[in-house]
Amino acid sequence: MLNKWKRVIALEGTKDIRRHKRLQTMLIILLVIGLTVWSAIGTDFSVYEVFSGVGLISNFLFLDLLPPDVTTSGSLLGAILETLYMGFVGMVVGALIALILSFLAAGTTTPHPIIQVVVRAFTSIIRNIPGLIWALILVASYGIGVTVGTLSLILGSVGFLTRVFADTLEEIDTGKIEALNATGSSYLQVLAQGVFPQFIPGFVAWSLYNLELNIRASTIIGMVGGGGIGFAIQKGIKLFQYKEVSMAIILVLVLILSTEFLTSKIRERII
Amino acid sequence: MNPILQIENLDKVYPDGTVALSNINFSVYPGEFVVVIGPSGAGKSTLLRCMNRLIEPTNGNVIFKDKKINQASARQVKQIRREIGMVFQNFNLIDRLTVLNNVLHGRLGYTNTIKGSLGIFSKKDIAEAEEILDRVGLKKQKYKRADELSGGQMQRVGISRALAQRPRLILADEPIASLDPASSKNIMDHIYNICTEDKITAIVNLHQVEVAIKYATRIIGIQNGEVIFDGQPSQLTDRIIDEIYHNRKPPLVHAQ
Repeated sequence: MLNKWKRVIALEGTKDIRRHKRLQTMLIILLVIGLTVWSAIGTDFSVYEVFSGVGLISNFLFLDLLPPDVTTSGSLLGAILETLYMGFVGMVVGALIALILSFLAAGTTTPHPIIQVVVRAFTSIIRNIPGLIWALILVASYGIGVTVGTLSLILGSVGFLTRVFADTLEEIDTGKIEALNATGSSYLQVLAQGVFPQFIPGFVAWSLYNLELNIRASTIIGMVGGGGIGFAIQKGIKLFQYKEVSMAIILVLVLILSTEFLTSKIRERII
Repeated sequence: MNPILQIENLDKVYPDGTVALSNINFSVYPGEFVVVIGPSGAGKSTLLRCMNRLIEPTNGNVIFKDKKINQASARQVKQIRREIGMVFQNFNLIDRLTVLNNVLHGRLGYTNTIKGSLGIFSKKDIAEAEEILDRVGLKKQKYKRADELSGGQMQRVGISRALAQRPRLILADEPIASLDPASSKNIMDHIYNICTEDKITAIVNLHQVEVAIKYATRIIGIQNGEVIFDGQPSQLTDRIIDEIYHNRKPPLVHAQ
C-alpha cells in the first residue's frame, strides 16, 4: 500500500518536471524572437532593401567582375604563394610556441596552478584580439608587407592553439599518468612518455585545422597591409581592376579548397 | 622478521567530506600475498593509492621498509615508488607506444630524466624487458602497438611494466575486474606465480571472494573505510563475508 502511494507521488513529480520543461522551452523561443525583432529594428533592416540590392549585385558580378582576367594569373601566383607561406609559417611557429604554453596552461600537466592561470589569461588576451587588429597594430611598426601578415598569424595561431591544445591535454586519460607516476618517473618523463603520445593525434589535427584558418585569415590580413593575395585584391579594388580581382578571388578559392583537401588527407593518414 | 609495509592509524578524508578510510592499522610481511576485499566504494583503491602516495593520506603513517612515505620529500617518494610496482584495473598502458616501450616505462625511475623522456633505455634494461615479456608469453608481441592487444594481453604488459621496476612490493588494484573469466584466471596465476618465484610481496584488491580465497595467504576485509576482517582465508566464514558485503542497509528496491 505504502509503495503504491510512493509511486503515485513520483508520477506527480514527473508531471511537474515536464510542465516546467515546456515552460522553459517556450520562454527561450520567445526570447530569441524578441531579440531578433529588436535587433532588426535597431539596424533598420528591411526585406525590401535586400531585394532592391540584388539588381546592383548582379550588375557588378556579371559586368565588372566577370570574366576573370586569366592573363594576370602569372603575376598573382607570387601573391598567392606569399599567402600560403604566411599561413604555413604562422601555423608551424604558432604550434611550437603553443605546444610549450599549452603544457603550462592545462590542469593535468601544469607545474603550478598559478602558472596555469597566468598563461591562460595571457593567451586569452592574445586570442581575443582578432588577427585583423594585430595586423593594423603591427603595420604601424613594420610597415606594409609579409612580415606583418606572418606575425599577426603567429599571434592568432598561438592564441587559438594554446587553448585547444590545453583542452586536449585536459581530456587525456589521467589513469595512464598515474601509472607512470607510480613507477617513480620524473615530471618531464611523465610528460614526454605518458602525456605526449596521447596528445599527438590532437596536436596534428588541430595544427592542420589552424593551417586552414590561417590561409583564410591571411587573405583578410593582407587587405590591411599584411601582403600576399589579400593585398593584391585590395589594390585591384582601389584601382577598379575588377577582372584582376575576380581572378584573385578564384585563386583564393582554389588555394583554400586544396588546403582543406590536403589537410583532411593528412589527418586521415596520421590518426 | 620486519614488516615490509606498515599502516598506522591511516585516515583519508576527501575535500568534499567523504571519509574514505578511517583508522586503518596493519602490517604486511615479506612474502605475503594479501588480498583486500570489500564492496565498491569501501575504500580499497584509496587504501592502495595511499601506500605509494598517489593519494595523500589525511592522517597516520605509511611505512615502507622503515621509511615514512607520508613524510618523504618528492624526490624520496619517487625513489620509494621505484620499488613498488602497480597494476591497474584499466591496465593504463600508453596505447600508441609499443608493448616493449610500455614495459620499459618500468625503468624510467632508474633512468636519467632526459634519456628517459626521449625513450632511450640501456641495453641491459631492454634485454631484461624482453626477458620479462618472454616470461608472460608476449615475446612475439613486443613490437605491436599496445592498443592492438586483447584485454588479457594488455594486463600482462601491465604486470611486465611493474616487474621491470624489480619491485619488492606489487600493488594490484582490481587487476581482473575488466577481464573475462579465462583471462582472469590467467592473470591471477601470473601475478601469484611471479610473486612467489621472485619473492615479491603482493597486495591485491579484489571483489570476487572465491578468487581471494584461492590465492590469498591473508585476507583483509574492508567496509566503509574500516578494516572489519584481517586473517587467514580459512577463517573467512560466510557470516563474515555477509557482513563485509551487506551493510545491513535497506535494499534499494522493495519487492511487492
